[in-house]
Amino acid sequence: MKRSALRVALVCAIAAMGVARAWAEPATPPAADQCLTCHLDQDSPEAIAYKTDVHAARGVSCADCHGGDPRSDDQDVAMSKARGYIGVPRKDQIPRLCGRCHGPGTEAFKARFKLDDVLTDFGGSVHGHALESNPGGPQCVSCHGVHSIARVTDPRSPVHPSHVIETCAHCHSNAAYMRDFDPALPVDQRDKYLTSIHGKRHAAGDIKVATCVSCHSNHLVLQVKDPRSPVYPTHVPGTCAKCHADARYMAGYGIPTTQYDDYRQSVHGKALLQKSDLNAPACNSCHGNHGAAPPGASSVIAVCGQCHQSNEDLYEQSAHRGAFAEKKLPGCMVCHGNHAVRAASDKLVSFDAPAPCAKCHRNDGTDTSAPEIVRMRGLLDSLTVGQTATLAVLSHAENLGMDVTDARYSLKDVNQSVVQSRVAIHSFKVRKLEEAARPGIAIIAQANRAGEEAVHEYKFRRQGLAVSTLIVTFLVVLLWLKIRQIERRQQGEKS
Amino acid sequence: MTEPGISRRSFLDRLLGLGVLAWLGSVIYPVVEYFKTPPQGEAEVTSVVATKIQSVKPNSGLVFRFGREPAILVSGPDGKLRAFSATCTHLQCTVQYRNDLQKIYCACHNGMYDLNGRNLAGPPPRPLTEFQVTVKGDDVVVSRT
Amino acid sequence: MTERASGPMRWIRERFNIDPLIEFASHKQVPEWRGSFWYYFGGVSLFLFIVQVVSGILLLMYYQPGEKTAYESVRFIVTKVRFGWLVRSIHSWAANLFILSAFIHMFSVFFTKAFRRPRELTWYSGFLLLALGLGFGFSGYLLPWNTLAYFATKVGTTIVAVLPGVGEPIMELLRAGKDVSTATLTRFYGLHVAILPAAFTLILGLHLMLIQTQGMHEPEPWPGGKPRYMPFFPNFVLRDLLLWLIVLNILAILAVWFPWELGSKADPFGAAPQGIKPEWYFLFTYQALKYFPAKLAGIDGEVVGIVLFGIAGLLWFLVPLWDARTPRGIRNRFINYVGITVVLFIIVMTALGVR
Repeated sequence: MKRSALRVALVCAIAAMGVARAWAEPATPPAADQCLTCHLDQDSPEAIAYKTDVHAARGVSCADCHGGDPRSDDQDVAMSKARGYIGVPRKDQIPRLCGRCHGPGTEAFKARFKLDDVLTDFGGSVHGHALESNPGGPQCVSCHGVHSIARVTDPRSPVHPSHVIETCAHCHSNAAYMRDFDPALPVDQRDKYLTSIHGKRHAAGDIKVATCVSCHSNHLVLQVKDPRSPVYPTHVPGTCAKCHADARYMAGYGIPTTQYDDYRQSVHGKALLQKSDLNAPACNSCHGNHGAAPPGASSVIAVCGQCHQSNEDLYEQSAHRGAFAEKKLPGCMVCHGNHAVRAASDKLVSFDAPAPCAKCHRNDGTDTSAPEIVRMRGLLDSLTVGQTATLAVLSHAENLGMDVTDARYSLKDVNQSVVQSRVAIHSFKVRKLEEAARPGIAIIAQANRAGEEAVHEYKFRRQGLAVSTLIVTFLVVLLWLKIRQIERRQQGEKS
Repeated sequence: MTEPGISRRSFLDRLLGLGVLAWLGSVIYPVVEYFKTPPQGEAEVTSVVATKIQSVKPNSGLVFRFGREPAILVSGPDGKLRAFSATCTHLQCTVQYRNDLQKIYCACHNGMYDLNGRNLAGPPPRPLTEFQVTVKGDDVVVSRT
Repeated sequence: MTERASGPMRWIRERFNIDPLIEFASHKQVPEWRGSFWYYFGGVSLFLFIVQVVSGILLLMYYQPGEKTAYESVRFIVTKVRFGWLVRSIHSWAANLFILSAFIHMFSVFFTKAFRRPRELTWYSGFLLLALGLGFGFSGYLLPWNTLAYFATKVGTTIVAVLPGVGEPIMELLRAGKDVSTATLTRFYGLHVAILPAAFTLILGLHLMLIQTQGMHEPEPWPGGKPRYMPFFPNFVLRDLLLWLIVLNILAILAVWFPWELGSKADPFGAAPQGIKPEWYFLFTYQALKYFPAKLAGIDGEVVGIVLFGIAGLLWFLVPLWDARTPRGIRNRFINYVGITVVLFIIVMTALGVR
């Protein structure tokens, strides 16, 4: 009789699940769930907690995870292996248990309960791999908790934005624990995060700021070196831009949202995003990642100097260093800008409108630096313009059919001089620039001479040919006269 | 009749002789010039004697001409010889050996390569092209692999 | 002639009796008729050969055979050595003009039936000289070791290999190995500067000696019925010299205005460039072989083609034999038709090949 009643209840429950809106209303757990009945009687904390669990409201019973027969009130029967009782699941079993609903399963079922296939994501993630190789590794419960699981939007949930930092840090700040999985991975992410603008605002209760999952995603967490990862270098700008380029989302923070567009047009952005040059800096290269914050005016030099070391060295010894520091000017940015930094051109060294020199210097005879600026630009130009002009001379010689390959090859060495001059300009000293530019200017002069000589040689060949043709013509005419003379004489002798 | 005939002939002969001489000049001049060996040797090479083995000290580097491009012969601290293209893979500057760092170094942008030519630090995107080093007698011969 | 008794002539005469030679030269005569013009092509060919010897020796002063040096040294000659460009261009142009002039010489002899008795040996030796000339052209073409030459040689030597049985061994002998390589370059170099010149000089000596002793072939019959002659010395010799001067200047003009290109260095592992063609004087054979079907009566079409060309060449070589068997008419029309057919064939095939 009990059994038939149970069967009716079960049929009713299944029928209830069939009703479209059934899931929306909290369904009471089947009165016949003997697990809860019994464990609540014993004041089991798990059972009490489970009452608030999001799953309880959806009709997921204890037996769905722990196995056994919830219909039997006989402990020996209900919790017997024969009825499939497994007790506390092994940690590495958990993803499969959760995955029965949150896994690949049937589409219709998942659609009905708005479930995603997070098991597949987890399986492919760095956490899934860790669990595979080590049963002590992270699984669903590690982040979502157990028996009182709540939605991510529910502030009680350990993965709610307000808690997620601590949840991740639980393992990731534990050096001893992390050693078993990835001994080389730093464990200071939380500490850095707390110093970042994100972290400070988060601590102040702002849950709109970026947390771990904002950048690393949730179930499909991948290693930074994995090209699919949202924090893979080429993806970093896009990942940051999800928030920072969204004017509506960023409203109220009082910072611009044009950085991403600026960066994409910049020399750095083009190198990273278009040429996939992983050496090129992404947002985190200058701002830091976990400790993200804008570099201050005084630290810009050091940040840029990570890559542009020679330029930094020269700048540090230059007169600009002191002058800029005094005026609290942000070093490199004064001339090159920040997010929208373009490939530096020689045109920067100029008094004309967008060029930076005119910001401080005047070219009206009052500024003693002005002639030096003019001279430095002149040196740079003599390399680039000289190179172009010499190439034109060489092309002209080649069009005439002359071989100037050697001169063309030598021009390649000018490049070194150009590069070194463009570095040397950061000393803002004419003498240094002259030293760098001199070899290039000499090569240009030599190649130019070679080109002109080739053109000269071309003319010489044609003149030589003309002379020899003239001589031959002269000789041919004379020979012809001679032959006629001889033959006329022979004619005379005969007659 | 014979008098002017003879003088015309001798005049013609003299002119003819002059013409032959001029023509010979125009032939001999290029030939003589041709035999003057130009100062430079051949351009493109696949193998070159970089230096004498006696002059190579451990922990030193030597930039030498390898055809049209510079190459660098590096003798590591262990005395092992290696040779690379001396053209930096970043912006084509010429690299040098820094015995204080025991690295191949590019002064343009502080690029750094290890003694196997691998790009270690700084902007160089690729390793340096390696050449083959063989010691034949006293000569250190570097050749394209 | 009285001044002979004095100066250097006397000095020579005391040691070597040159009188018979001078006597011979002063009596030698050249037939003078409307066909005399063609006589000059023999002389022009001879002159171009001399030019080749001189310019070739000059090139030897700097050329270095070998995979790593051949191209580089030719490049060096062309770009660095004073007038090296001129020497190299003249050598290349004169080679082509030599083949052209030799062909014209051969056909003029053919159409004037100058190969007939007693001049069969002159014809045979002349034919051999042309064959050696083609050998010069083929072997010399590879020496700069540039891309075009490399692949042209590869194709050229492959053609031999299609002959059943003997083809492969001949090809390997030519290439000094299975493939065109540095060994081929060395072999061709040896052929070009030692074997071929030696053989050529010997046969040329015979050819010239035969011409001098037998005298020029006279037209049969004489136009107008009355023979006319021109003294060989100085009349004909001076005309020869005059023509040679003009030819040399034409070479200089060609070398300056149309310098022979060097191209890029051969890369045995590189892809063959598009449209590789043999030198123009091999083009008609190359083009004609293309028109043979893949299979002819069960035999490889190319083999048939090459065998046919071989037979045709042999028949051409042996023309004094089968011409003699035709009725010994003064004008043998059949020979003319054969000659015209061959000339037309060569012109049409070359034109098709150039296109």
